Amino acid sequence: MTVWTPEDDGFADLTSHDTFARGAPHNTFARLRRDDPVHWTEWDQGLGFWSITRHADITEMNRQHEIFSSARGIRMEDQTYEEYLARRTFQETDPPEHMQTRVKVARAFSKPVIAEYEQDIRDLCDEILDQALEAREFDATKAIARQLPMRMLGRILGTPEADLPWLVEKGDALIANTDPDFTDHVLDKMDTDEFRMMPFNSPAGAELYQYAKELMAHKARSGDTNGILNMILNPGRDGGVISETEFRNFFCLLVAAGNDTTRYSIAAGIQAMCHQPELLGQMQSGAVWETAADEIIRWATPAIYFRRTATRDVEVHGKMIREGDKVLYWFASANRDEAAFEDPFRVDLARTPNKHLSFGQGGPHICLGMWLARLEVRVLFEELSKRLRSIEAAGPHQFLRSNFVGGIKTLPVRVVPA
Amino acid sequence: MQVTWILPDGARVTAEVAEGLSLMEAAVAQNVPGVVGECGGNLSCATCHVQVTDDWAARVGGPEEFEDAMLDTVDAARGPTSRLSCQITARDELDGLVLIVPGA
Repeated sequence: MTVWTPEDDGFADLTSHDTFARGAPHNTFARLRRDDPVHWTEWDQGLGFWSITRHADITEMNRQHEIFSSARGIRMEDQTYEEYLARRTFQETDPPEHMQTRVKVARAFSKPVIAEYEQDIRDLCDEILDQALEAREFDATKAIARQLPMRMLGRILGTPEADLPWLVEKGDALIANTDPDFTDHVLDKMDTDEFRMMPFNSPAGAELYQYAKELMAHKARSGDTNGILNMILNPGRDGGVISETEFRNFFCLLVAAGNDTTRYSIAAGIQAMCHQPELLGQMQSGAVWETAADEIIRWATPAIYFRRTATRDVEVHGKMIREGDKVLYWFASANRDEAAFEDPFRVDLARTPNKHLSFGQGGPHICLGMWLARLEVRVLFEELSKRLRSIEAAGPHQFLRSNFVGGIKTLPVRVVPA
Repeated sequence: MQVTWILPDGARVTAEVAEGLSLMEAAVAQNVPGVVGECGGNLSCATCHVQVTDDWAARVGGPEEFEDAMLDTVDAARGPTSRLSCQITARDELDGLVLIVPGA
C-alpha cells in the first residue's frame, strides 16, 4: 500500500506557504538533492537565500555555528535589527551566549527528569483515548494529537487545566501565523507591521505575555518558586538575568514549540498507520518501542527548515555563499534523503540507526524538548495500538499552510476498537 | 593514540584515534554503544557521557563551566570523573586512555 505521494512538479516555489499546504514538495527536494544541493532562490518578498537539502551537508554545516550563525534570524523572512532584538529567544543566539540560557533549563528537560513523567503521560493518554475512541469516526489531529502535548504543557508550566485551550489557541496563532485557520493575522497576506516587534509578528504574543506575567505573580504570591518559568528567571552562571522581553519570548516559544511539533508528530504517525496497516500489528507485538518514536518523528518532520546566516564567504559544492547570505537547512528534505535512509518514503518502525534531523541533530540548537517529545510519542502509540483492531482514513487529510511548520491539521479516521 | 571504552556489560572497544578528533566523534565512528553525540559536539545534549578511569582522571582534567552544568543532565548517574566526551580532544599525552561508558 502506498503512503501519501508528493505531487509537485519538481520545481515548487519553496517561498510559498501554499506549496506546503499540499504537503512538502518532495519531488522538488529530490531534484535539488540530486542536481543542485546548494540552491539559490531569488525572492520578491525579501533577500534571496540558499537551500541546503542533503542530509550529509546539513549535518556538516549545522555543526559549524561560527560560520553559519543563528544570531541573525532563523526564519526565511528578513528582520530589521530592531525587530530581531525585540523578538529573539535563545534560538537566535550562538554559543557561548546560547549556553547561558540553555543550562538554566537543560536539567528540567533532561532524559532522566522527563522519564519521571511517563506515568502522568500514560494516565493522560488513557483519558484522551477513551474519550476519542467513543466515536468511530473523528478528526485524529483534534481528538488525539492536539490533546496530549497541550495537557503536558500545562503540567510543565504549572497552569490551571481550564486555561489550556486558550493557551494552545494563542500558541497556534503564533506558530501557524501563515494559516488562516489558526490566525486572523496571516503573515504573508496582510500588513502585520503593527505587530512586527511581537513574537512571530502576532498580537497573540502580547496576550501570552500578559498571561505569563499574571501567572508568575500568582506563583510568587503562593510561594511557588519551582518550575521551568522560575528557572529561566534565575540568574545565569555569568550573573546575568533575562530581560522582560526575553522572558516573554521564551514563554511564547514554550507555548508554541512545545505544542505543535509533538502534535504533528502524533498526527503523522496516525496517518502512517492508516496508509501502512502493518504498522498496527508491529506496534502490538511490542518489539518496536525502542525505535518507533524516532521513526514517527522522522516521518513527521514538524520543523521543515531552520535558517542560518553566513558570517563569512564560504564555498560549498562549488557555490560561493557570501557573508550575510541566508542559508536554509531543509530538514524535511534531509529526512527523505535516499543517501541517508533506505526506502525513505516508507515508515519502518524498527529503523536503526535512525539519524533523522527532526530535532536539529548535529548542532547546538538541538531541540530542548526532544526527550519529552519522544516519550509522549512512544506512550501515545503504545496506548493507542492496544485499543485498536483497525484504523483507516475516512477522507483526505489536510496540511497546515506553512513552509516552516509541517503538519496534518485535519485527519479524518475511522476506527474499530479492539 | 589508542583509546579503550569499557561498556556497561564489561566488553571493551579499543581503537586508534587521530589527534585532534573529539572522543565523542571517535566513539561514534567506532559505534560505541551509549555514546550518541546528538548535538554534534556542541555541549547541548549530554548524550556522550563517559567516566574517566581513575588513573587517567588527572591527565584528562575536569569539565569547564557549561560542561559541568550539562553533566547534571546526563541519563546515567554522574560520577566524580564524569565528562562529556565531545569536550575531550585526542592528543598524544592521552595515548592508552581508558574510558567507562556508564549504563543508564
